[in-house]
Amino acid sequence: MKRLQALFFGESGRKTASPFSGYCFSGCALLAGMCLQLCSALALEGTTKSFPAVGPESVRLAIHGATDLSAMEPLIRDFQLTAPGIAIDYSDFVTNDLQKSASEACSAGAGQGDILLSSSLDQLVKLSNDGCAVPHLSAETARVGDWAKWRDEVFGFTYEPTVFVYNARFVPPADVPRTHVELADLLRRRLDYYRGRIGTFDIRLSGVGYLLAFSDAAQPTTVYGRLLESMSRAEVVVHCCTGASLQEIASGRLYIGYNMIGSYAYAAARSNPDLRVVVPRDYTLILSRGALIPKTSAHPDLAGRFLDYLLSERGREIAGEHAFFFSEDGPLPPDVDGPTVLNESSGAQPIHIGPALLAAQDEAQRNRFIQDWSRSMIYVAPRK
Amino acid sequence: MRRETSLFARLALRISLVLGIGAGLLVTAAWYYARAAADDAYDRLLLGAALQMADGLTVEGGQLIVNLPTSAFELLGLAGRDRVFYRITDPSGRTLTGYGDLEANIDPTTVRREPVLESGRYKGEAVRIAVVSRALADSSAPGWAHVVVAQTTEARRTLAGELTLRASVLVAVMSLLALAGAMLAIRYALKPIERLGAALRRRDPQDQQPVTVEVPRELGPFIASINHFMGRFNERAVLLRHFVSDAAHQIRTPLTALSAQLDLLDGDRLDETARQHLYRVQVRAKELARLTNQLLSHAMVIHRTETAQLQPVDLVDVARRAFRAAIPITVDPDIVISFEAPDEHPIVSADAISLREAIVNVIDNALRHGTTSRLDVRVCIDDGSARVEVEDDGPGIPPQEWGRITRRFETSKSSGGSTGLGFAIASEVVAAFGGGLSFREKQPGAGFTVVLTLQRTIEKNV
Repeated sequence: MKRLQALFFGESGRKTASPFSGYCFSGCALLAGMCLQLCSALALEGTTKSFPAVGPESVRLAIHGATDLSAMEPLIRDFQLTAPGIAIDYSDFVTNDLQKSASEACSAGAGQGDILLSSSLDQLVKLSNDGCAVPHLSAETARVGDWAKWRDEVFGFTYEPTVFVYNARFVPPADVPRTHVELADLLRRRLDYYRGRIGTFDIRLSGVGYLLAFSDAAQPTTVYGRLLESMSRAEVVVHCCTGASLQEIASGRLYIGYNMIGSYAYAAARSNPDLRVVVPRDYTLILSRGALIPKTSAHPDLAGRFLDYLLSERGREIAGEHAFFFSEDGPLPPDVDGPTVLNESSGAQPIHIGPALLAAQDEAQRNRFIQDWSRSMIYVAPRK
Repeated sequence: MRRETSLFARLALRISLVLGIGAGLLVTAAWYYARAAADDAYDRLLLGAALQMADGLTVEGGQLIVNLPTSAFELLGLAGRDRVFYRITDPSGRTLTGYGDLEANIDPTTVRREPVLESGRYKGEAVRIAVVSRALADSSAPGWAHVVVAQTTEARRTLAGELTLRASVLVAVMSLLALAGAMLAIRYALKPIERLGAALRRRDPQDQQPVTVEVPRELGPFIASINHFMGRFNERAVLLRHFVSDAAHQIRTPLTALSAQLDLLDGDRLDETARQHLYRVQVRAKELARLTNQLLSHAMVIHRTETAQLQPVDLVDVARRAFRAAIPITVDPDIVISFEAPDEHPIVSADAISLREAIVNVIDNALRHGTTSRLDVRVCIDDGSARVEVEDDGPGIPPQEWGRITRRFETSKSSGGSTGLGFAIASEVVAAFGGGLSFREKQPGAGFTVVLTLQRTIEKNV
């Protein structure tokens, strides 16, 4: 899958480099679409991991997630301890593929996933709005804050800041950006040093990347415009996923990652002392990874049970230790550069799960936003 | 089978019915208004969102650009759980974005003048639809672009439900208060009837005076009827009594003459058969005389119990006088007769003459039909009552006949020529004074006893 994506970048890169790049967008989209179909087919087959039941298997739960397996694995294993008869198939998707497969399953009336996990909340909200979800009500869901659930169908079960990640071997302490403004200024000041060394999401491929960019653009300040301009000047490198960017940073090919998902970044930083995590102090977008039980779920009760586990004290505890590290009320994990606590007063901006996200999911809006973004990021491709 | 109905139940039932129907109507009205209010409130949000979306339409270089403001969706998000569908079409009717199959049956000329709201269905759910249009003059295809926004109606229904529930609680509380008030009012209004009923119940059966209870105007005719009826009845009764006493009085004179004539007949000169006939005629004449006397006595006693004022009477005194009057001088000397009285003289509230007559009748009865060798008259006292007991050593009256013999012209024996008025007079008299007549069966060591019981009034030492 990774190879295919790289191929796709190359393809789009060459096209966008041409003088007619603006007009060829639809062609790219077509290519992208073909590729995505291929990717999702591969994703379904290639990245499914089975967790056999702890006890004698009574039933099999299919989780379709746009969440790194490494993050989900401790949760799945711990859940199986509470429910020994359940075997779990976990299929890893890129957010857009997940959305596509879920929406196709919804209109076809049959699909394979019993529960969907995605950080791309706008896509989950759109699925719920289109009547593709079944509600789930329980004592656990009742405790979820209003901002992190909608229609009792979409639930946020994590609290993940979007962060800057840098490689301390290449970014001197004086350069470490602690706000969006500082990052923009840094890229302007030391353009030559950082040219081609900044990584972020490819919002064409990543639903969550698009959601973060959309939320950045909705900020009342003009910082994001400046930052976008600086990044484009600095020939930002885009990847499908936080993981890919983090690898590049760890290897030293990239120095700074922008809009990285905090939990993955922290997991990487724990295993690589060169990687450092900065929670921006001016504003921090907070993602609450969403879960949704699709209408086509073969085991909605079971899916509800898994969802309850994710929302439960025990699930949150395991997530805090092994997977998602950040929490709404606790302090930041050690060695993270940022405010002492992460709440609204220190600039945390949770992305509210609700119909407002439908604005991000509007097709015309999305196409134009991505088109504008692509135009800005035009320098990226040739270097890749 | 006819059920006994009460005025209270009838009124309560009808008032409850009226209140219930009223409450039902009010709740229906509340539901209707709540729906209208909820629709109105959320229609504004819906329309606001549609207008914002229409506002986001811009023409750039001849191209119609859709720029959906997030705030429009936030506005719709105020409806909580409701799903949102929208569709934006360009002047040619082509869908620019949104749900391509979202339709609104709206006249395009109307929507150009003002935004239109309607109810409909989409994706199998009830939705409220707002349509606004925007004139595009400088686009490549001038004309009207339309923004159709639909939203499911959960929040409206929830709000309407809440409002209705609250209104219903108020209506229920008001209805219950009204019902309780009405019940109290009915009870209060029916009080005079109860009072009248109680007064009628308390009335002495002999009392034929007009009813004088204070009643509301509405009950006036009722009372008047009772009084009128009672008056007529009373007149009849008085007439009848007068007739009886007149008749008795009229009979007494010729009867006395008849007895005198019989006495003049010399039995010795008659043969055996004639003497026997004469004897029988004499016996019958005596019976007739006694009956006539009793009828007169009865009429007198009834008259007195109706008219005479009850006064404190020394029961021992009355009983002694009755004893003297009842025992004839010609009584069989073999019969042992006694009179016992306690030291303390009980006082009862009665008419002395009627009471004496009653006791005379009882003693007379015992002498005539009971006594073979002994007759005891006693006055006894209890805590609250005093008794006159007349005991004889005769065969007595079997208990199954006790009820019968206190009625007029009933007797314990079909033969024996009893007139049967004695116990009836005694019973009526003591009943008129709040007492009663009872019997005590013959027991070893004690004979058959007739007991007249009367309530004692205030202790008075004589």
